[in-house]
Amino acid sequence: MRRVEAAGLSAWFGPNQVLHEVNVAAEPGTVTAIIGPSGCGKSTLIRCLNRMHEEVRGARVQGKVLFDGMDIYAADVDPVEIRRRIGMVFQRPNPFPTMSILDNAVAGLKLGGTVPRAELAERAERALRSAGLWEEVKDRLREPGGRLSGGQQQRLCIARALAVEPEVVLMDEPASALDPASTLRIEELVQELKERYTVVIVTHNMQQAARVSDWTLFMLYGELVEFGPTSKMFTKPDDQRTEDYVTGRFG
Amino acid sequence: MSATRRRFHEELEQLELDVLAMGELAEVAVGRSMDALIAHDDLLSKEVVDGDDEVDARYLSVEERTLQVLALQTPVASDLRLLSVILHTNLHLERIADMAVNIAKIAHSVSDLPSTQTILTHLREMGDIVRPMVRTAMEAFGRRDLDLCLRLPEMDDPVDRLNLGMYQEVAALAGDEAALNWGLRMLLVARQLERVGDHAVDIGEQVGFLLTGEFREFSDASHPFRNPADAS
Repeated sequence: MRRVEAAGLSAWFGPNQVLHEVNVAAEPGTVTAIIGPSGCGKSTLIRCLNRMHEEVRGARVQGKVLFDGMDIYAADVDPVEIRRRIGMVFQRPNPFPTMSILDNAVAGLKLGGTVPRAELAERAERALRSAGLWEEVKDRLREPGGRLSGGQQQRLCIARALAVEPEVVLMDEPASALDPASTLRIEELVQELKERYTVVIVTHNMQQAARVSDWTLFMLYGELVEFGPTSKMFTKPDDQRTEDYVTGRFG
Repeated sequence: MSATRRRFHEELEQLELDVLAMGELAEVAVGRSMDALIAHDDLLSKEVVDGDDEVDARYLSVEERTLQVLALQTPVASDLRLLSVILHTNLHLERIADMAVNIAKIAHSVSDLPSTQTILTHLREMGDIVRPMVRTAMEAFGRRDLDLCLRLPEMDDPVDRLNLGMYQEVAALAGDEAALNWGLRMLLVARQLERVGDHAVDIGEQVGFLLTGEFREFSDASHPFRNPADAS
């Protein structure tokens, strides 16, 4: 498990600055939730943590993201390797619909090409177990991923992210497109994942942030307003803007 | 702010207003029960007892609505603390009103027994302190005034002293059966007043929690003789 830290991190889309000198660290073995109204920069922040932000045309970053002290934006760092070690799960489940469940789970490994074919089935099972999906799909591994329910598809995507054995898992609203039962399953999974990974999760759902995270970060207009233990952020936040947001007085 | 959230905050305000109104009812009930005792006014005693139905109805209404808000609105931060304080304060006030009823019933039961002026004076003194204590606690709540609620333990000290002294005053009546019979009931009145003072302090502690986010007892009633130096 690794520590991931933003140090003086700013980000732009073309001329528009969307992050302003953010300083925050996600500690190993914890879940850090990022909350804030739409457009506050929370998705940009999480995408900067594994160099996904720069994939958008005209996007750029200033400052540092330290992965156990190593600046992931340093000139000699391979962004593909960074994205393997700092995995990401997106808002909408995006399995390859016609690819089998098994192949979906190890799609990242196949792309990397470093794992012998004989090992792929074993790695797929391990990833599917970690994502809490194995028992539901073990008898239908050859079926297309697109046949699974929305919640199962999202756990398949989590399995895909875990199969490459990352050290940090970033989740960008992983349950926002799911029904309540699937959401609960994902939340339980987040709790299990933190035993082995550093987890950062963006969520619009404040109750979800309160339920699953140890630390909460509140953002507004691209700035970090407050960062603290989740229990404190939802009972006695220090900043009036945090108070107003979590109590629904604005946003 | 969304209309749903605005309604939620309006309901919070209404709950607080209802608890503040409860505070006034409970405080007045204590004062009237003492008036009934001192003036041997049976009619007033009955009014205090009958008036408790309204307090109980308000208590239940606040309790039910608070639980509904907790269940439906998942409040957090200052809203959550306020609802917690409303629940606790509501119960404290209901208990204070019950104590007024107890005093009124005792007043009715002793109307044909001989009384002692000194004891009545001391009880009146206790009543004259605990009633403003309830008012002070509720004012501190309404005004979000931490300094005001921190005054409550000091206000409570003479109440505790008078209550302790009451045992000896009643024991002095041992030679006269009728007077002792009356005195033992006055001991119960003193106990009720002393409890009213404790509830007022407890409400003050709730206000402290509302304002600071930290709960702490203003006085350590469980270990009254503990010296801070003994802790080392």
